[in-house]
Amino acid sequence: MTPTLTEIAVRMGEIAVSSTPGEVLLSIGLGSCIGLALVDQRRGIAGLAHVMLPEAIGAGGPPGKFADLAVPELVSRTVALGTARTSLKAVLVGGAQMFSLGGGALDIGVRNEAAVRGMLAVERIPIVAAETRGSKGRTVRVFPGGAVVSKEAGGAEIELLAGGRR
Amino acid sequence: MSPISYTSNQLDALRELANIGSGTAGTALSQMLGRSVDISVPNALALPLAEAVEAVGSAEDDVTGVVIPLSGDLDAVVLLVFPTPDADTLCGMLGVEAGTEVGQSALAEIGNILGASYIGSLGMMTGLELDLTPPQAVTDMLAAIVSTVLAHRAEATDTALILDSELRVEGESCSLSFLLLPAAGGVDEILARMGVEA
Repeated sequence: MTPTLTEIAVRMGEIAVSSTPGEVLLSIGLGSCIGLALVDQRRGIAGLAHVMLPEAIGAGGPPGKFADLAVPELVSRTVALGTARTSLKAVLVGGAQMFSLGGGALDIGVRNEAAVRGMLAVERIPIVAAETRGSKGRTVRVFPGGAVVSKEAGGAEIELLAGGRR
Repeated sequence: MSPISYTSNQLDALRELANIGSGTAGTALSQMLGRSVDISVPNALALPLAEAVEAVGSAEDDVTGVVIPLSGDLDAVVLLVFPTPDADTLCGMLGVEAGTEVGQSALAEIGNILGASYIGSLGMMTGLELDLTPPQAVTDMLAAIVSTVLAHRAEATDTALILDSELRVEGESCSLSFLLLPAAGGVDEILARMGVEA
């Protein structure tokens, strides 16, 4: 029997955290955006940020939108649920180059990934798995029990972090 | 934190532009296929980015998107969205095999023709210089395509402006969404030229 899971959608620029068994944090269709998951497997605490851009340059939007604001915000919101910063592991999904829209020299998906990795280094949080680059959109699911899975458009599910799924 | 807001007057004017643009595009599609094409009343929506994808469709839907950035006086992207079964039907009508490279370039070319019609009428109405850059066809989840287009222009605003029209080929289960996604402030010039006050 599969227990019913409550899906919490984490849309563009949003952040969500959970320590509730039976919940799953979900970002559908990450393209150039990065889904950043932080997980404390021992305590059963997880968070997900749907990052759109590398840095906020005096611009508008929620903190989850920009890597430089999203990473510290996600850390403090998971810590507020009772984890310690040193217990967190990070998983990155997304950052694809789906098409070219002109503009900057470097692709935005690549820049997003670099910015998130840079901020995680500052926070001293290890990246234990990543499913990034390429040209396909991806969906990520993060379970407070510890599992992180991703699925490419038209592809099979990949378990990036093994753990509980409830 | 600067959500850009548009007045109902401005959104009405943009909806009227989309109405004329999609009418022209529908005529072009009809001529190409030799069939009648129904055109919906367009939407002009100004939404928080987080809500933008679901306004276009179901996030996980498998679609083919044709992405056409504009160059010239308007910073915007034209995006045509074909649900995959409808893209297959359309390829069938054009006599090309769906899901192949030839099928994808046929859809890209349709995007090019419809985009040129729509943008051409926009240019005529406003006197702006508007050009298309080469179209790119991508098959993926709807959310991945729409969010990537929007993210590219999201630096300065948390508001997505979406002009959305639906074209439906009569007698076939074949429809497509024609979206114009202007960058923040991109439509100010258009509205000014149309003499629309805030």
